[in-house]
Order: sequence, then structure tokens, then C-alpha cells
Amino acid sequence: MKAIEEAVRSDAPATRVVVVEDDQASADVLQRRLQANGMVVSVAHDGRRGIELVEELLPDLVLLDVMLPDTDGYDVCLRIKSNTSTSPIPVIFLSARGEVVDKVRGLSCGAADYITKPFQAAELLARIDAVLGQARNPRVPRLGRPIERAPGERLVARVAIADPALREHVQQLLASRFDLADADETPDVVIVEGSAAVPADVAEDVAVIRVSAGRGGSDGTEMIPVDAQFPRIVDLLVRERSLDHDLQAAAEALIVLASAISSHDRPSAGHGERVASRAVQIGRALGLDESTRMTIRLGALLRDVGNARLPAAILTKSGELSPEERAMLERHPILGEEILSGFKRLSGLLPIVRHHHERLDGTGYPDALRAEQIPLEVRIVSVADRFEALLADRADRPAVSEAEAVRILQSAVARGELDAAVVAALATQVRAGGAR
Amino acid sequence: MRPSSVKRKVTTPAPAHETDAERRHEHRFQVSESIARLVMRTTANNLPLSRDDRPYQWSTTTYCDTVAWSIFRAAEKGSAMQLRIREYHRTRPREVLNPGTAWIEFKDDEQDTSLKERFGVSMEVARSFLRGDATLPEDHGLAERASLLLRDGARPVAVTQYNRLAYNSLDSSLRITADHNLMYFALPWETRNDGDTEPSPLGSLLAMEPDVIVEMKWYGELPHWAVDLHAYLKESTREERPSKFIVAMRWLLGETDGTKKSKKK
Repeated sequence: MKAIEEAVRSDAPATRVVVVEDDQASADVLQRRLQANGMVVSVAHDGRRGIELVEELLPDLVLLDVMLPDTDGYDVCLRIKSNTSTSPIPVIFLSARGEVVDKVRGLSCGAADYITKPFQAAELLARIDAVLGQARNPRVPRLGRPIERAPGERLVARVAIADPALREHVQQLLASRFDLADADETPDVVIVEGSAAVPADVAEDVAVIRVSAGRGGSDGTEMIPVDAQFPRIVDLLVRERSLDHDLQAAAEALIVLASAISSHDRPSAGHGERVASRAVQIGRALGLDESTRMTIRLGALLRDVGNARLPAAILTKSGELSPEERAMLERHPILGEEILSGFKRLSGLLPIVRHHHERLDGTGYPDALRAEQIPLEVRIVSVADRFEALLADRADRPAVSEAEAVRILQSAVARGELDAAVVAALATQVRAGGAR
Repeated sequence: MRPSSVKRKVTTPAPAHETDAERRHEHRFQVSESIARLVMRTTANNLPLSRDDRPYQWSTTTYCDTVAWSIFRAAEKGSAMQLRIREYHRTRPREVLNPGTAWIEFKDDEQDTSLKERFGVSMEVARSFLRGDATLPEDHGLAERASLLLRDGARPVAVTQYNRLAYNSLDSSLRITADHNLMYFALPWETRNDGDTEPSPLGSLLAMEPDVIVEMKWYGELPHWAVDLHAYLKESTREERPSKFIVAMRWLLGETDGTKKSKKK
């Protein structure tokens, strides 16, 4: 715990390093040397503790010995590289084993470098710098804050470019579509040159657009060339972000509506939010990108919106449903799709809304889809829905533990109902949660 | 979301083809790292390194099964045909079906013998084959059986990755391999359109094995040194060893700790 507390306490943007080294003296020397060079160092003396530290701290770098008391460094490296949250962290092996096969094995496990002991501190530091330099991603352009203004109203731009000639050129181009910000005015967008720093007084939620006098950034940063198309492109980018905000607001309103409806037929409040949250966690574990995870979240929250068109008597009925009532209830995915199909920008959610009761073996509804005919996002929401339902008390059965719920879902996988990889991702999360 | 598959016939170029001449013996042993080092030292004194396998290269094997797990269930009963895609890399990939050469493998396991046939094809052809569009030449009838499995809904579900050291006799009558760093993954499979060559990302890590899996495969009689080695391995093995496919599927379905059968069914 001490290592974690020390590392977390440090707010400075120093390089955080986890050293996994079983030899106390070697670890101390290494720690002092790295600290002297401005790094925050946490040390583990065995593989299990090393993995725990890496998962807790998400350091910038791991220095890893090969020979450890409980396992070997290859195993630790493979575990780090197999976890989506830790896999981007570069690993450097430090080992007395200097044979070619050892180095090949270490590098083939995903290490960024392999240094044999004894090593010179200067060489170690140089290699660390090289590895960290390669690992650092260029800063991605920040998304803009929501913009609230009437349609057609001109946007406000601030040009924060040091070069007077380029600044004037950009201002002239923008003048056709934008108002230029006064000193005390909050802009909708800030224009900066290349990879220059954003002015400190610019709020985090203001859109930042980087420009280059040429055709683009040489360091991989996304930049917009200053040419005749420049004002139009900036205008489109800022308005697209505004539209995204509007979409988000519309979706939030729908979610409130859907939650209000589900409160009638769900004994436990917040079920929809828990399903959405669980589905997003599974999506993250499966390495899905942020946009897909957002689709999953909204789809999970709105999956039962079709219930709004069903008679309340069916939704609130406590006894067994008649075949006719059952058939009507099973139309809610289709009704939900109909409701949302009016929102073109929500089209990505429709498969989740329509298919979240499908099963891989074709016994689900409404379309009796089979296996991968059901998109992965839908399979994730289905698993999250069933899992969260098992954790809640119901009239016909009590709640079960998370571990028991996983076992029940695994049985459903064996019967061919649910996706095995999605349930495996959930099981991994539950195991990790239980271990903490 | 990705649209569903669009059918298109892929013309299969003449693939690289390797096949067992007849059923061959196959025994597996789960041993410690130190035992494996001794075994491979003895092996290296008697057999040359396999020309086709780079030492410590990563083998990535993607296994297929149906929604009803019919291949796995048959394998548990002792007889099944595995349908799998194998690829080789210098460093461990985090995706499967990467661009390059794929080996489509059919392996018919029975008791302690196996019959294997494989085709080296481009990954585009492998993907097309998985969609049931491309066909492969017949030899032992395994390709036809694989096509039937695909028609029955078989698709990639689990993956193993490991470092392999392989030794082969010059006449290929004896092959001894040691697999290190054995890892089992789930695979969240998505059907792809033609022309979509993006690799498929691995799912959750199901398990890792701390031990080394030594496999002996041979035709006819073993040479004397190999008989002794086999006896030593049999004495030293930790567990009677099911195939990697069975272990992977047990982990995937949560039916066991992997190597042992589950009590619950």
C-alpha cells in the first residue's frame, strides 16, 4: 500500500515507473538512480505484487526482472500486455540472462527493450528516454464544449498565434464567418499554431483547432492548413460539435422518459443505469472505442423505450401473462425501434433496441437472429441486462451473488444463448473485483 | 455497427498444402520449466531444429466451434475434428487473422492418434473460407467435413498463443515440441464484409499456464532414445494432458479450471 500511496500522492507530471525486482539491494540502487532523475518509483519484489502495482498505478514505464520468486518476468510481461488498460505501458526487461534466446523471448512477449545486467546507469536512462519517447502519443485535438446559441448566429473565434503575419492572415480568413473575440469574451473556438501551448486562460471545454501554414503537422498532430477552405472547415467542425451536444441533450431527455417508463415495471430503481454502466465496462474490457461505448450506453438506456406504447396493465401485471399479452410484450423492441427511428442521429442505437432479446441459438425475439447476425454491441447489452437482473431481488426469486450470477450466465453460454467472449469479459471483471 | 456479411465467391489460388500421410501418434505432457529444459536438451542432441519453425516464434491458433459447441462436446468424448486457423509472428499479436499467411488446419483427433491437414493461404482466403465462400482441395475428406461444420454455424470462438520450440527428424517421422507461455483467450467474433481486412481483436485472457507443454508426434516405432525420453516424460508429467482446444474451451465455458473436467454439467 505504501508504494501506491506515495505514487498517488505525487501530483507532479513526473514519469512514474514501477520496478519489479526481487533483489532488495538492486531495487534500492535502481530506485535511487531513477528518483535522482526526477522519476516517481514504486517497487515490487515479486510478480504478483508487480502486476497489482501496474494495474493500480498505470505507470508510464515498467522495469522488469526476468527471474522472480513466484513467477518469471515473461509471465508478468504477458499479463501486462494482455490487459487492455495496461497493455500500452512499455516494459523494459532488466536481466542477468543475456543469451539471445532470452532476449528474443523477452522481446517477443511484447517488451520494448531488453537490457542485460550489469548495465551502466547512463545507458539505462538513455534507453528509458527512447522508449518513453516512442510510447508518448501526440496530443489529440480536444473536443469542444457545448455551444448554446441561436441557429445562424455567428460563432466567436480567438486567434492565439504568435507569428504576427500568420495571425493577421488567419483573422482575415475567419472574418467572413466568425466574430473575433475581444479580450474578455469567451470564444467558441481558439486557433493555435502547430503544437504551441493553448493559452492558460482558455477554459478546458473550449474547442481548440491547430493550424499549420503548410499541409499538416509533422509530428502526427491533427492540423488544418490555412488556405481558402479554412474558415468553412473551422465552421463545420465547431457546428458539428454543437450538433453532437444537441444530440446528447435529446438522448438525455429520452433516457429520462425511458427511466420513468421502466420504473413502472422494474422493482428496483436504477436498473437501466446499472445495465448501461455494466455494458460500458464490458465494452471497455473488449477494447471497444469510446464512440462504440457511447452507443452501447445510450442503447442500453433506451432499449425498453418501446414499453411506452404498451398498455400499462401488461407492464404492471404481477401474475403470469397470457399468450396474447406475452406476444404483445415481445413487440416492445419493434415499438422502441419505431419511436427512435425518427431521430436520424440515433440510428446507431436501433440494433440494440430491436435485438436486445435475441439469443445466439435463434430462440430470441423479434427476428430469431442467430450467432453473429446479432451485432457485438447488442450481445454485450444482453449479457449486462441479464447479469444485473440476477443481482436484484424479484418476486419469483431472491438476488444472487455476482459470482453465482456469472455461473448462471456461463450455463446460458453453454446452452448457446449468450456470447461466450462477452461473458468471459464479465467474469474477468467480477473476479478482479472480488480479488480487490 | 458493422453491416452483416455480403456473400461473394473468392477464387482460391492453389494453396500451400501439408498433410499427414497417415494417422500419427500424439502424446502430450505438462511438465515444469526445468524438466522441459532437460527434455529439449536431449531432443536437441538427437533431432535438428525444425526448419519451418523459428525458435520462440509466437503461434496463434484460432479455434472454431458451433453455437451448440458440437466440436468441443465431441472432443470431450474422445473424437472430434478441430477446425482452426494458425498464424505465426515474431512478437505476440493482440489480434487474430492478421494480414499475411494463414494456415487453415483440420485436425482429426482420436484416442492417442491424430490426422492433420493444412493449407497455407492468404488471410483474405481464410476469412472467405470461414464465411463458407471459398473451398479447398480434398485429400483426406477433412475439408469437406470442415465445410459441413461451417454450414452448421462454426465460427472462431477461442484463441491460444504460445512460444514454440520445435525439433523434427529429417524424414518427419518424429516431431517433438515444447510450448512456453501458453495463453488462452476468448474471441468476440464479428462477421465481416468482403474486403474488410481488419484483424479481429482478442477478448479476455482466460488463463495462462505456468508449465511447459511437451508434445511428441510420431509415425511407426520410436527410436530407442525417444522411447526413454517418452518414459521420462510420462514419469514427470503433472497431469494427463487434454488438447489445447479442450483446455481453451473448458476455460471459455467456465466448466473447469481448464485441465480438469468439471464436476457440474
